[in-house]
Amino acid sequence: MQNIIDVQGLKKEFKSFSSRSGLKGAFRDLFTRNYTIKTAVDDISFTIKKGEMVGYIGENGAGKSTSIKMLTGILTPTDGKIVVNGMNPHKEREKFVKTIGVVFGQRSQLWWDIAVQESFRLLKKIYNVPDQQYEEHMKDVIETLDIGPLLDKPVRKLSLGQRMRCELAAALIHNPPLLFLDEPTIGLDVLVKLKIREFLKRINEKYGTTILLTTHDLSDIEALCERVVMLDEGKIIYDGPLKELRENWAEGKQIQFQFSEKATLEELQHLTQEHLVVWEKGESDLVWVASVDADETVISGVIGKVTAAKKIADLKILEISTEEIIRNIYVEGAVRHG
Amino acid sequence: MEYISIFFQYVGQYLKTRLTYRADMIVEIFSDLLFQAVNLVFILVVFGHTNLLAGWSKDEMIFIYGFFLVPFSIFASFFNIWDFTDRYIVKGEMDRILTRPVHSLFQIVLERMELESLFGVVTGLVVMFYAGDKLGLEISWYDPFIFILLVIGGALVYAGIFIALATIGFWSDSRTDIMPMMYNIGNYGRYPVDIYNKVIKYVLTWILPFAFVGVYPSSYFLEREEWYTYAFLTPVVGIVFFLIAVTLWNVGVTKYRGAGN
Repeated sequence: MQNIIDVQGLKKEFKSFSSRSGLKGAFRDLFTRNYTIKTAVDDISFTIKKGEMVGYIGENGAGKSTSIKMLTGILTPTDGKIVVNGMNPHKEREKFVKTIGVVFGQRSQLWWDIAVQESFRLLKKIYNVPDQQYEEHMKDVIETLDIGPLLDKPVRKLSLGQRMRCELAAALIHNPPLLFLDEPTIGLDVLVKLKIREFLKRINEKYGTTILLTTHDLSDIEALCERVVMLDEGKIIYDGPLKELRENWAEGKQIQFQFSEKATLEELQHLTQEHLVVWEKGESDLVWVASVDADETVISGVIGKVTAAKKIADLKILEISTEEIIRNIYVEGAVRHG
Repeated sequence: MEYISIFFQYVGQYLKTRLTYRADMIVEIFSDLLFQAVNLVFILVVFGHTNLLAGWSKDEMIFIYGFFLVPFSIFASFFNIWDFTDRYIVKGEMDRILTRPVHSLFQIVLERMELESLFGVVTGLVVMFYAGDKLGLEISWYDPFIFILLVIGGALVYAGIFIALATIGFWSDSRTDIMPMMYNIGNYGRYPVDIYNKVIKYVLTWILPFAFVGVYPSSYFLEREEWYTYAFLTPVVGIVFFLIAVTLWNVGVTKYRGAGN
């Protein structure tokens, strides 16, 4: 299968001017300026094949948005090679953007005070979509996203969830083979999120649309993507299946105890000294979490010892969530390879 | 051409939204008219004290003002880019513009157009005909064509200067007050340049060529033959400045840094 996105040694530096302090400093700034160079994206390389759905994750400032903006032709890279849909996004911008769809969750593609369908019509003109293709394709999109009743309302009268669905439809007017989604579910309620996920899965199956998705909500990625690319400080720290990430990191389980009386760390450590347990305090003095290996004898051993010695009000056994895995990875700063 | 059909689609949409806010539109046209009237009164007041200003009569000055209004109104309708840095760079709206398959400057022209300002063309024509009649000017068959050419030239001069200034935003998004200042300087082009000293005259001709929006092209219709060379340079200067500005713009787009998020 061919590569839709091919990125080699991509780099983006921002030069910013740092001002000196005080009046004297301001005066010196007039003549000589101090520039600091910040590397937002530092030498990343990856390829994405046709029909893949890839989750692009990282903390704020990890370089997600910057790299997406380079992939969509908005920003010029400082260094490196990008080929997307067989084109250089920045050099051939106007021709290139006809082959992609973009949704920025925090920014609207639609015109604020005209009806949604008028916005669609303007976009249809901008993308030069033939009538017949538009009718066929958009009928399907509008139905699946269930936005038929919203079409004659102005965008400013829509709720966030309604608007987001319209934004998605707007990004698909020209039926692009590649879709970039930057935080598409930010601030949405669960039902809308589910609808959007279902829709994305559907267009991926039906049209083979390649999707690159950034989000803070890892459940989006769990529901949609088999592969994740993880960024930290401008570098790729993991690129591979989400499953593998889980297997290598989520080896243990957590047991959450809620005691009816106060417990101390020493006391608990003493109780479970024959097993390998890491105790962590929960929301209050009464709640403690034990991280253990996913081994039945250990789990029942720990529970037995603790319940025998102390009165408990509640007990939960938790799987380590993806969110926690990601957090751990960021704390350690690198990915363990199993 | 593709762009022309996009243009009319936008104009149609614009009219549709504007007609739903009729009161708004009327207020805007009215305030434009008031502004133009104030400028005319200013000319009348000056000529209440003198009959000639560096060899130009009151009616000639009024004619120049009338001519100036035409290219200026066209500029004001389509090139509302004085707040470009705030609106598109600081707020990051440029991101959206750049993900669409149409030239970025053209999209901004379309999004920011204010067709009400075109009413100034009518005012300008009325003022010109009134002054021209008093001056006893005659119209030849080719004059309307030359008029259109000079008007386009003048509008391009204005557009070129303001586009070039807007591109500063691609390099630095700090606030500058250069735009309002430039609107003020633009007003100097409405008066005969020989009333100013040499330096200002030079600046208004070759550096910020606002004189090509008012006095130079008008002198053709006022039959002031000593200025004819300048009058016919108007379209050339317009095209040159506009092309320079668009080139600067295209370079600027590659320097766009995006709004952080």
